[in-house]
This record gives sequence, structure tokens and C-alpha cells, in this order.
Amino acid sequence: MDTRELEGEQLSPRNGVQSGVSTATMDGGILMASLGARPGAGLQPALAGAEGYTDAEVMLRVKSGDQAAFDFLVQKYRRPLVSFMYRMARNAAAAEDLAQEVFLRVYRSRQSYEASAKFTTWLYRIATNLAVNHARDTRRERPEVTISLDEPDQETGTTMDVRDSSMTAEENLVREERMAAIRRKVEALPERQRTAVIMHKYQQMDYRQIAEVLKLSESATKSLLFRAYESLREQLKEFV
Amino acid sequence: MKCEEIRAVMPDLASGLGEVTPAISGHLAGCAACAGKLEEFRKTMALLDEWQAPEPSPYFDVRLQARLREEMAKPQSAWMAWLRRPVLAAALSVLMAIGVGLFVREGGGGYQPANNMIANNDAIVQAEPGTAVGDLSALEKNNDLYSDFELLDDLQVQHDVGANP
Ligand SMILES: [Zn+2]
Repeated sequence: MDTRELEGEQLSPRNGVQSGVSTATMDGGILMASLGARPGAGLQPALAGAEGYTDAEVMLRVKSGDQAAFDFLVQKYRRPLVSFMYRMARNAAAAEDLAQEVFLRVYRSRQSYEASAKFTTWLYRIATNLAVNHARDTRRERPEVTISLDEPDQETGTTMDVRDSSMTAEENLVREERMAAIRRKVEALPERQRTAVIMHKYQQMDYRQIAEVLKLSESATKSLLFRAYESLREQLKEFV
Repeated sequence: MKCEEIRAVMPDLASGLGEVTPAISGHLAGCAACAGKLEEFRKTMALLDEWQAPEPSPYFDVRLQARLREEMAKPQSAWMAWLRRPVLAAALSVLMAIGVGLFVREGGGGYQPANNMIANNDAIVQAEPGTAVGDLSALEKNNDLYSDFELLDDLQVQHDVGANP
């Protein structure tokens, strides 16, 4: 799959996974248990119906039992969450499992959700806790976790393919080596710096949001990020 | 504008997220150190762009559905798994007593008595939504979700200091 081809369409249903059930709307919640296939096309009307709603409002619908509202949030955040977990977990194969776990926790905790919390802050706090937890557990088990892009997922047999089909094998190799080196440098940062960089650089979150997720002041977050990038700048010199 | 102020916003400037105000461009024009640092930060940002993440696999939705169905089909065991979490285990007996009480009172309507317990606690004063205070207080109220793994709290600041002398 050419990753660039899919860039910028994170809300669209994925190929083959979802079938056309067009009756699901924000108001007509559908029971998860009755779903044979995902209501892919149903998300489009749901999306249209959700215009003007904040994520927090959509989450309140989940709280009141609206299953389509939950589907909407899953479709909206699965791509950002999978990439966040991929970079956080130090284990490519676990990224999807962890992203799913985040959604499961959101679902389980729907009753306790408070609308005045920014939904993404809540979501990323759950995700960060899970990822940090996972990284610590796996580090304890395997002191030197090696992450291979080509390592097939244990359950699905698929690889986390980020290769560029327009490049030759050799070019791809060079590119993958650079990527691996960059990844190692980010992963070598102290945990909090690493988390802040991943949120800032790859999730495009602002200082205030990162500060809230990490329970830091904004100025502490700024200095944390400055130190993190300063150290990356130093470590990545050879690649510039 | 001072050098420290520029450096505080440099990650945003370098990644193109932050606005270059006249005060900032004025400082950069007269301060080679900051201008040079910004240029280096930009290069670092460009390098970091090379680390790409994969798309969710086609199996993502199917597997999430399966896990959700499993969750809904076995409310009892999910509840037990929830209780088995190490930190919660300490509060097991108390939670059980309250949880069972609620469960009975609500006719078994929820499989997350702990959550219902908090959700029902509407007596808590509602902070103004959309404000920082409101957001933070709401986050605290949502705390049951992550209170069992307070890892964010132990991310060590000392670590950072040591790593960047
Ligand atoms: Zn300066």
C-alpha cells in the first residue's frame, strides 16, 4: 500500500473492511452486537450529522448509548492513534493492539466521561499511559527490543509497511536505515521528552494540550520540548 | 524580546506551527545565535519527518469490533479483569461492597459499577466547560480511567536533567 495515497483521508472508510449500511446516523445508534460488518458508508451520514458537534459532544452521545457516535470517534482517531502508538510503543506489532485498547478503555469508561474535558486530552492521556506502561513492560522482558519494519504481525501476518513503491530496493534500504536511526534517537530520549516530541512533532499538538496530557505547566512543557529538540539536533547532526 | 523567550517558542517556529511575530523576526534579524539555532532546529524537524508511521491495517476495524463484542458479551469477566488490576486490588473490598450495592440498585444495568459510581456523583460542582479550570477539573473527574496506572506521574524530571546537562 502506498502510504502517501492515503494521506489526509483519515475519516474515510477503509477498503473492504466496511460494507454499505447507510442507515446509521448520529441519532439512530446501532447496536454493536448486531453488526455483521462495519457501517462504513453509514459513517458518512453520521459525519454529516455530526457537523458542528465537538468531540466532547459526540462522546456524550456515546455515554448515552449511541453506538454510531462511538464508531465516529473510532474512525476519526484510529489513524492518529495507530501512528502515535507506533512511535510510542517501541514495538511495531503492538501498535494496533494498543490503539484498540485505547478505544476499549474509552468505551468502558464512557459513563464517567465529563464533557468539559477536551476529548483529545483525555484520549491521549489514556494512550500515553498505555504506551509508557507497555514500553516499560517490554523493556523489562527484553532489554534490547529490536523493532523491524519487516517483522510480520504475529496475529495478522501483515507487515507494518512504510516502504515507498516509487523507490528502488536500494533506495528503500538507505531510507529505512535513516528512519531506523532517527527512530532510535527519539526512543533514546528520556521518557517525558520522547512523549512530548511525539505529540508535538507527529500529532501536531500544541503546548497547552501537551502540558495537559503530561500534567505539566505550559512553560515546563516549552522547556521540555526545547531540551528534547536540542538533544535531537545534537544527535542527528551526522544525518543533516 | 529576550533569547530565552525565542527559545521557548522555537520548537513551534521550527515546525511551522508558531506565528513569526514582528517581535520575533526583529530579534532574529539582530541575533545570529537565535537565527542559527532556528535554522538548525528546522533541519532537525525535516529529518524527523522521515520517520513515517504505517496506516492502520485492513484488520484494524474487524479486530476492534471483535474485541468490543467480546467485551460486551462477557460483562462479568471484564469487570473481574478490571478489578484484578494491581493498584485497584488494594481497594478491592471497598469497591466490591459499593459496586455490588449499586449493581443491585440499578438492576444490573451497567457492567462498570465503578464508572457508574462516579457518573452518578453529579453532586460535584460543574466547572465552566471550555475553560482551563473546567478542563482540568473534568480531567480529574475522569481520573478513574488512569488512576490505576499513574505512570505519567512518575515520568522522571531528574532523568531529563541528567540527560541534558
Ligand atoms: Zn537571541
